[in-house]
Amino acid sequence: MDSQESAASSFDRFLDRVASVCLTLSGTALVLLIAIFGWLVFGRYVLNSTPTWAEQLGLLLIAGLSFVGAAVGVHERRHLSVEFLRDALPIKARVWVHVAADLLLLAFAVLMAWQGYKLGMSNIRREIPLLGISESWRIFPLAVSGVLIVLFTGTRIVRNIRVGLGLRAPDRRLLLESEY
Amino acid sequence: MGLAILLGLFAVCVIIGVPVAFALGIAAVTVFIYEGLPLMISFQRIISGISVFSLLAIPFFIFAGELMLHGGIADRLVRLASAAVGRMRGGLGTVNVFSSMLFGGISGSAVADVSALGSILIPVMKEKGYGADYAVNVTVTSSIAGIMIPPSHNMILFAVAAGGGISVSKLFIAGIVPGFIMCLCLAVAAYLVAVKMNYPSEEFPGWGPLGKAAISAVPGLFTAVIIVGGTLSGIFTVTESGAFGVIYALLITTLFYRSLSWEAFKIAVIRSVRTTSMVMVLVGCATAFAFLLALYRVPDNLTRFLLTISENPIIILLLLNVMLLILGMIMDMAALILICTPIFLPVVTSFGMDPIQFGMIMMMNLGLGLCTPPVGACLFVGCVIGEVRIEKVVRTIWPFYAAILVALALTTFVPAISMTLPSLID
Repeated sequence: MDSQESAASSFDRFLDRVASVCLTLSGTALVLLIAIFGWLVFGRYVLNSTPTWAEQLGLLLIAGLSFVGAAVGVHERRHLSVEFLRDALPIKARVWVHVAADLLLLAFAVLMAWQGYKLGMSNIRREIPLLGISESWRIFPLAVSGVLIVLFTGTRIVRNIRVGLGLRAPDRRLLLESEY
Repeated sequence: MGLAILLGLFAVCVIIGVPVAFALGIAAVTVFIYEGLPLMISFQRIISGISVFSLLAIPFFIFAGELMLHGGIADRLVRLASAAVGRMRGGLGTVNVFSSMLFGGISGSAVADVSALGSILIPVMKEKGYGADYAVNVTVTSSIAGIMIPPSHNMILFAVAAGGGISVSKLFIAGIVPGFIMCLCLAVAAYLVAVKMNYPSEEFPGWGPLGKAAISAVPGLFTAVIIVGGTLSGIFTVTESGAFGVIYALLITTLFYRSLSWEAFKIAVIRSVRTTSMVMVLVGCATAFAFLLALYRVPDNLTRFLLTISENPIIILLLLNVMLLILGMIMDMAALILICTPIFLPVVTSFGMDPIQFGMIMMMNLGLGLCTPPVGACLFVGCVIGEVRIEKVVRTIWPFYAAILVALALTTFVPAISMTLPSLID
């Protein structure tokens, strides 16, 4: 393995670690969400006082875990997509179609990051009712997700372009079952 | 022109394999730019699309299902169904259908149903001399019960996509009869094929073991009762009952079944996060997409167009069903619910159909799409578990497709099937 290859694979490992940290954070948010709603039900029916902040905090958490989790989904290629048409192509063409799809995704992610940041900054003084914190907390996960997707797809694009140019072998995920 | 860009770009993105959620987003954002609308608004739509209170129930339902899946409920349900209906000819086929019906009430997801029950039942069926294709056929098609029998997070997606005017509790209760009829049709198909293939029947274990199996399964089944009952009685909101369902599922699997390890819990959390984030981003991007569809008056134009073909509601409903079937073959269910509901719902309501009945038609129809090639999540998972090629399964799956189509036709043309139960809670 040449030095370029080994640098690439250690960067891949770094991205895997980023993805796993994001998943852990999102998982924690989900467990928190359950705890908050458990408390809400307990408060409403047992203590007879509804914690008014719970619903808003729930919505905040779900936005965070969804956007961050979705970025990990891009890295792990778990999103729903139609692949049978692409898979019907010969391997060379398939690689370039992968690049094209990832480029579109990358462009969208750049907009997510940029517009998410802009939207967040313009709402920074607006408060989320009952929580007393800035509305931007709901919006910034969109920008974070954009940055993460740029990172994940950008790396994949570079790798697949090298595959397309014959500079490296295609990885398992590009190949069909019958080809490896 | 804007509409052509919206639909064209979406189609191109999907064809080259861009994830459907982002394909919706890319098409929507491009049209925002083309129309000179502020770009920020498109992203604001995406965020506001997922900031809907009733959507919070989705992660709870998914998580409760995952906990049950990893917490040992599936094999208890199979034991119950086996003791109850196993003695019929080809008994395990019928057991499979009824296990799906019971499990569907808990998991609310067809794919979870296939992976949970399939991994228990398919190997057993193969061992007892059933064809692998038969075992996969029954498992895959009966998994649609997971979508029909409440609680089902797809019903919440439908309610949200319909604009929020539909009561989720009514949707839940409406699914019971069509789901049961569909399972009955599938059981008949499973029986007929079993007779033709001369498959064996199971011995009746006696009333004692049947009772024991029931007692062991009831606490798990009670998760569904809590969620649906809590919602229907109005004691809890859908979201609260979902959260309560999760807490109950946690207690049952750790204290009663004692089969949920810390590792299994972590897996359940991570899997729930993956599914939830996928669905939520899909909802967000579909909201921006649907905003543009409404802007271009697509539903109105489609209604007008369909009226030029025929004014007969039966023909229109058949047409819509065929369209949904074709779309369901190539795209996944959650995406289609979010895209097609705002377009098709105004059409059917203009013919006097209740949105709840349309919801049932859509669930069953798109559920069938999960079992058809070239894109069918349930079919794929079933074939992997059964270690059998998709081509082989599809060659013998027709009686089961026919059974679902019969149930779909009944649901489409007999409103009482969907509407009787919801009308009782008015």
